[in-house]
Amino acid sequence: MTSDTPGGARSRGLLSRLRRARSSPRSKARRRLGAAVRLLAALTLAGGAYTVFAPDLQAQETSQLSAAAQEGKALYDTSCVTCHGRNAQGVEGRGPSLIGVGAASVEFQVSTGRMPLARQEAQAERKPPVFTDDQIQQLAQYVQELGGGPQLPEGENLHRGGDPVEGGRLFRINCSSCHSFGGGGGALSSGKFAPSLRPATDRQIYAAMLTGPQNMPVFGDNQLRPEQKADIIAYVQEVLAKDRDPGGFNLGRLGPSTEGVAVFLIGIVALVFAALWIAGKS
Amino acid sequence: MKRRKLDMAALPGRAAREVDDRLGVNTPLRSLLNKVFPDHWSFLLGEIALFSFIVLLLTGVYLTFFFEPSLTEVTYNGSYAPLRGAHMSAAYASTLDISFDVRGGLIVRQMHHWAALLFMAAIVVHMLRVFLTGAFRKPRELNWMIGYLLFWVGFLAGFTGYSIPDDGLSGTGLRIASAIMLSIPVIGSWITSSIFGGEFPGEIIISRFYIAHVLLIPALLVALISAHLGLVFKQKHTQWPGPGRTNSNVVGERMFPRYAIKQGGFFMIVFGVIALLGGLVQINPIWLFGPYEAAVVSAASQPDWYVMFLDGSTRLMPPWEINIPIGDGYVIPPLFWPTVVLPGILVVLPLAYPFIEARLNKDRRIHNLLQRPRDVPGRTALAAMAVTFWLVLTLSGANDVIADKFFISLNAMTWVGRIGLIILPPLAYYVTYRICLGLQQHDREVLAHGVETGIIRRLPNGKFVEVHQPLGPTDEHGHGTLEYVGWAVPKKMNRLGALGPAIRGFFFPIEKPVEAPVSPGHPPVEPRSERQEVGSGGSR
Amino acid sequence: MSTRTDAHSNQVVDNPREPFDVNDPRLSRFDLVREGARRDDIEIVHYEPQFPPGSRAERRIVRTVASIFLLVGVSATAFVVAYIWWPWRYEHGTGASKYYTPILGLTLGIALLGIGFGILIWGKKLLPKEVSIQARHDEPASEEERRLTGNTLLYMVDELGIRRRPLLGVSLLAGLAPVGAVAAAPLVGGLIQQPHKNNQMFTTGWKPITENGTTRLVRLTHHDGTPVRPEDVSPGGQITVFPGIPGGATNKYADSPVLLIHLRPDDAAAARAANERAGHADYMWGNYIAYSKICTHAGCPASLYEQQTNRLLCPCHQSQFLITDNARPIFGPASRRLPQLPLTVEDGFFAAKSDFTETVGPDFWERP
Repeated sequence: MTSDTPGGARSRGLLSRLRRARSSPRSKARRRLGAAVRLLAALTLAGGAYTVFAPDLQAQETSQLSAAAQEGKALYDTSCVTCHGRNAQGVEGRGPSLIGVGAASVEFQVSTGRMPLARQEAQAERKPPVFTDDQIQQLAQYVQELGGGPQLPEGENLHRGGDPVEGGRLFRINCSSCHSFGGGGGALSSGKFAPSLRPATDRQIYAAMLTGPQNMPVFGDNQLRPEQKADIIAYVQEVLAKDRDPGGFNLGRLGPSTEGVAVFLIGIVALVFAALWIAGKS
Repeated sequence: MKRRKLDMAALPGRAAREVDDRLGVNTPLRSLLNKVFPDHWSFLLGEIALFSFIVLLLTGVYLTFFFEPSLTEVTYNGSYAPLRGAHMSAAYASTLDISFDVRGGLIVRQMHHWAALLFMAAIVVHMLRVFLTGAFRKPRELNWMIGYLLFWVGFLAGFTGYSIPDDGLSGTGLRIASAIMLSIPVIGSWITSSIFGGEFPGEIIISRFYIAHVLLIPALLVALISAHLGLVFKQKHTQWPGPGRTNSNVVGERMFPRYAIKQGGFFMIVFGVIALLGGLVQINPIWLFGPYEAAVVSAASQPDWYVMFLDGSTRLMPPWEINIPIGDGYVIPPLFWPTVVLPGILVVLPLAYPFIEARLNKDRRIHNLLQRPRDVPGRTALAAMAVTFWLVLTLSGANDVIADKFFISLNAMTWVGRIGLIILPPLAYYVTYRICLGLQQHDREVLAHGVETGIIRRLPNGKFVEVHQPLGPTDEHGHGTLEYVGWAVPKKMNRLGALGPAIRGFFFPIEKPVEAPVSPGHPPVEPRSERQEVGSGGSR
Repeated sequence: MSTRTDAHSNQVVDNPREPFDVNDPRLSRFDLVREGARRDDIEIVHYEPQFPPGSRAERRIVRTVASIFLLVGVSATAFVVAYIWWPWRYEHGTGASKYYTPILGLTLGIALLGIGFGILIWGKKLLPKEVSIQARHDEPASEEERRLTGNTLLYMVDELGIRRRPLLGVSLLAGLAPVGAVAAAPLVGGLIQQPHKNNQMFTTGWKPITENGTTRLVRLTHHDGTPVRPEDVSPGGQITVFPGIPGGATNKYADSPVLLIHLRPDDAAAARAANERAGHADYMWGNYIAYSKICTHAGCPASLYEQQTNRLLCPCHQSQFLITDNARPIFGPASRRLPQLPLTVEDGFFAAKSDFTETVGPDFWERP
């Protein structure tokens, strides 16, 4: 039992009664029971006052959301609220505002596993997604209804009818400077990087172009029309991912740096061993 | 009519007689057939470069039949579907044709490029061997200079070669080359506009690079290589010290048939390795780079590995610009120092090295015997320092690839390169010097105390000692009296007297074990009586 | 045969008292070889076959070499068969044609390696072991010889009589010097091109076009030539634009590609303030800003725009430029900011108010 008391006047009386209680051992148990009852009453009073007076945000929002968005909100409140705030307004130093990022952003970040973020670092990394596809759709719907923003078209295959020749031209002028000619990714400044495009699905590529995640520029539908996005995705998925290299093992498509390593590790090593065998160490 | 019977067996002799009557080649031919070459694996490294060069010539001639060195714009209409209809230069289109529309063209292209990388790699490894063993000393300073120039001419050959397809990667490199030329003070803009025929890129540069690459540079290479080999032939190859070897003889094998067999076999092996690389490992996939456009670049853009040290020096250079406030103002851009001044120093300094070292050592004798690297710790440490410097620059040339693949900050990689370039070479010098001294000390120790046998004996007073096998006669203190003669000291029991395994054969022992030989790896000098002389099989 | 060692060159020589008779029937072929080598100053010191002829080990190695050569034949045939009959035309995806080059490489490589290994095993294992010693004879010529040669050379000068007839020497030099220039002139002269013809190093494709007395501004266009409107770029987006002139997007105007960036409002405010400080007061149009894409370090297109940090990274040598502060270099080897293109909008399309006011691309000596 602590000696925390609510008010000054009452404390004097309580203290004097406690002092009196020490001199009379027989009423100690009764004193304790009385204190407990009083404490319980005080708590109930405080709690009730809070419930009456505190602003109640939840009740008003819930009524305007669709069913999917309500599911999304439930997921959001457990997984996202710490960094992005209760109304997705963002938390200084932890997470940006999600108002206006749209379902496309949420689908990209969460389906690639980048969100929920494991730790604050230079750049979010792709990792196994925490949520199922349905949950991702619900989260996306919630954020969309909260603040609006860009949305992805329907369907899994977003490059039907896309022209890989045109896509290659657009890829080289817009994308290869960061993601490299083979789509393998590349370094940006100070620990950031453009990731490899190999594990990305059509929807993820489309969403990334549309929303410009982190330091990637935004390639809205005004700049790259949906047909042009389909062309680019066709190039990435059909040519870069599926077209097998005709010249043999491609050394990671990293250019002359790995070729130089290979000529020493394979060529020179093999030939030095051959020289050792031929002429010996005499 | 009586017909004279043609004696087939005597035909070669009669033909040779006729030739000798006219050309007088009899005795020179015999001395050529009998010429002695010393034998060591490290003497074969230069030949990797020579054989790669031959492969380059063969594959290169094939490629010239199909390549079109022109910057005229064409529309691609070949087999490679992802570029069909794209606008590109005729040079790029013809390279795509070689890769996709000429049967077997891709493997020849890839073999050509792999042979080029191997050529340069072999030159570097061979140069290192020559430097570390002191083979550049008098009378071979000229050959060292020719060989060193071969590296730079090969560099130019490679640069012009990978630039002529006019693809995205090499076009970017060409842009950087034009910037390097521009950065030269006073005459830079004149040089650039003269070589490119105007502002970058102009219409003519690919044709000029092409003629340099297929005619001017190969002619220079052939001339230099011929001079290089001719000097080795005339001055005779150096050799390691050892039994029977002096500064005025050559111990080894005669040219024909055994040395020629080794050369021919090694050529086939180099060719085979190039063929395997050319077929199994893709190189320079220009169809993924796209045609060169001034506004397009890819991440992970590097030049070929032998140019990468210049890329690294450029990346590490701080932005120190020199402004000269005379008149309208003149500027020396920061690009000048790492790409013009540094290579200039790198070309001149090693050329003069043999003379510098001879002057410092006050050494004017002729040297035909090699030195073990550990016996010249100063030179070996200098080589380690140079290699470290070059390696930091080369790795910095790929610092964006390293940063991306190993999750290191790109800015941090640049700083690591800048600081490492200053700190690591002196560190390498010191460490290498100490290691050489340690190895020398171990040699002397084994000569003095004998080989450790691994047999432990307990003395009557309880002390444990290891039994050592002396290498030769010992003095009254039990120390060996043999001098160090500049060759390997045997340090294990099974190398005693043999410097090679006592039992021959890799998987199964071969007949009888050899007796103690005189020369390393070779059986005894006197032939045993029960063995016969080997003839050619026919009677005399 | 009796032997003695030659003290100077460590060679073992025959007893010189017995003259060598080439036609002696008792001599074997190898004896003749040895004598021939001796006359070239080469002594075959040791020569021993590795196996007794006909032994099991020798037969085993012969079989090995033979099987390697047979493998070469098989592999070479496979190469020719694959070369002719394996499908090789480009097809998309995975297919047999993707293995054409690897199969050719494998068969050719095995064939060549097989020849190499076969020959080498033959030479290393089947040929007798040999040690030969050759004298170098690389002593320099004697002083006497050198004197003779030196005087021969000097006498040439005496014969030509240049010292006695100085006019010959002078006229030779005076006459030949200009001939050297004659040889060099077309080669060098034909190549030399004036770098500042048409002021080309200070002009780009963005220069407003003046014809018939009117001046037209050059529009910003996409890669395919269509003009760019402000609505085409979202905030946080960037687009590569080219001058709206014939061939503007080709390498003919390699110094003209421009990066158009739509900044977010607070970034745009910072950029505008920086512009004021640098005297580029109205180069931006609204929140749009445009910089030359050609890096001022070595000319690569600086294309990696990081929309949150507003850094433009050039992938070639990692120079980084701060977009919100006149694209001044903040890291890497670049020492000069990127030139900014003054923007305006006419008829709803972006246009360049004027050409760049700084030189584009890598620096050169006479850059003011």
